[in-house]
Amino acid sequence: MSGAHGRPLRIGLVCPYSFDVPGGVQFHVRDLAEALIARGHSVSVLAPADDETPIPPYMTSAGRAVPVRYNGAVARMTFGPLTAARVRRWLTAGEFDVLHLHEPVTPSLGMLALWFADGPIVATMHTALTRSRGLQMAYPVVRQSLEKISARIAVSEDARRTLVEHMGGDAVVIPNGVYVDHFTRATPDARWTGTPDAPTVAFLGRLDESRKGLPVLLDAVPAVLRARPGTRFLVAGRGDTGPDEVRALLGDDDARAVEFLGSITDAEKAALLRSVDVYCAPQTGGESFGIVLVEAMSAGAAVVASDLGAFRRVLDDGTAGTLFRTGDPADLAATLLRVLDDDGLREKARDHASDVVRRYDWSHVTDEVLTVYEMVTAGSSGRQVGEDPSSRRAGFGRLVRSDRWER
Amino acid sequence: MTAEWGVAEWGLLATAALVLLVWAVWVEASRLDRLHRKVSASLGVLETQLVRRASVSVELASSGLLDPVSSVLVGEAAFAALDASGEGTGTLTSLPPELVRIVAEQGDVPPRATAGAAAGRTAVVDRSQVESELSATLRAALEDADEVAEIRAQPGGAVLVEALAAAWFRVQLARRFHNEAVAQTRRVRGKTLVRWLRLAGHAALPDPFDVDDAWPPALGRPGASARAPEV
Repeated sequence: MSGAHGRPLRIGLVCPYSFDVPGGVQFHVRDLAEALIARGHSVSVLAPADDETPIPPYMTSAGRAVPVRYNGAVARMTFGPLTAARVRRWLTAGEFDVLHLHEPVTPSLGMLALWFADGPIVATMHTALTRSRGLQMAYPVVRQSLEKISARIAVSEDARRTLVEHMGGDAVVIPNGVYVDHFTRATPDARWTGTPDAPTVAFLGRLDESRKGLPVLLDAVPAVLRARPGTRFLVAGRGDTGPDEVRALLGDDDARAVEFLGSITDAEKAALLRSVDVYCAPQTGGESFGIVLVEAMSAGAAVVASDLGAFRRVLDDGTAGTLFRTGDPADLAATLLRVLDDDGLREKARDHASDVVRRYDWSHVTDEVLTVYEMVTAGSSGRQVGEDPSSRRAGFGRLVRSDRWER
Repeated sequence: MTAEWGVAEWGLLATAALVLLVWAVWVEASRLDRLHRKVSASLGVLETQLVRRASVSVELASSGLLDPVSSVLVGEAAFAALDASGEGTGTLTSLPPELVRIVAEQGDVPPRATAGAAAGRTAVVDRSQVESELSATLRAALEDADEVAEIRAQPGGAVLVEALAAAWFRVQLARRFHNEAVAQTRRVRGKTLVRWLRLAGHAALPDPFDVDDAWPPALGRPGASARAPEV
């Protein structure tokens, strides 16, 4: 397949979220950029970043992200006239063959770049779409922009379905990529390696975001400890929850089984997933993909996950891992014990998982993305990404509903 | 005067003291009453101006004069402010933090779905925080003087920008007036006589309204005679 991709392309990638804070979309954009560069394409990434944050040479900063309220939560977005001017400059200077936007329906850089640009445009939707009133109000302007997208990519079947429901049309599913070998070849860490008497269960994610499911796991801890007293729960991630809260919740004895690792590096994450017996994903909702599940499967950890649609699909309907009823601590405890007790079950799931993850490896994902680029550029008969004249003042002035302010 | 003080003299003195005390109490009580009414009046004015600013922001966001991203975010912040209005400027800050956290954890539920439980939805929102966020969002959307000049040059643009500046300026004034009234009231309520005799009755102790309403530098200061057009 890779042989089909001919000439090197000039590719512009737009990431809506700041690299100051780690996140799935940011990592995806970074990895995709590096995978494309490794294949000889020239890539420029536009992303928000603070002045102090060191950024790789292929990245251009669109300015600082400011915290604003969006969809009921405080999010860090980069916007305003100075940002808009930077986006426009980056677009015109880049002379891109393809512009690849991420999250064009989130009010951030992707939406701005789409507004300014014209030509071969690819857009990836990562998360479920939100029903924001601000968005609904500005939708007439946004919709015109969205029509300029030549190819839409959804990162999962679930993301595709919400996209189709909300915006009509269709999208091709290309999953987030994982460097599978990076996890397969990671060196286990003795501190986190389980023994038959003291098996280890890992949790990764924001601790104080209840959607990530830490409370569900903590509620399951006592029942697991009663059956297997030596079990250790390794909790990695940032957040205000700590040993004190766990002691208050579980009492001193049970709380000793829960160890907080804090925020960990990429290398530590790979080592952790490579070491533990079970990776537990107790998320209660809002997941459209579940990249950590793929990473855990690559590392060879047995995965125990909530039966959310996205997780069910990543785990190949529960054959590459074990599912439990979402948000049910009793079922989670029972499932964890079943997986810990049954070496054969773990082995079988692990074997199957090592096949499943190949589909998510960057070598494969990059091929698929490049095929999309190829089709989009072929369709535009050699035209590069340029500036959309209607985004200039005079053009978009016609959208002004001046009748209301006439008098 | 050689005569001893009789009952009559003592009685007279006691009566005089009592009259004096009653008078002092009456003075304090009516002063406090006046201040309480002043506080509720200034709160009403502040409320009106905040709502007006949020309404103009919605108009600006839907006007097509801003870029799409600024439109969405300004609209979102303005709707949040309008949602929070009518909940009383101080009441929500006094929820116990645990309760606020519990309610906030339900925040994943889209606002529409909880529209029925209006109390549950808005209790998450701290009014002053929402208004501060609207200020910050507008400042980012209007950070460039050239851009503001261009918006003014568009049909209908100047009217909107003027309306926003006028409403914003009045928010700044109203907040200062209100907080001054609150400070005076709290000073009087701290007095010994007022506390001992519980002259404040059941009236809640007013809280100052702390909000970030710093002016966007690129937005021209409205002239003293500038009037906020009806929105």
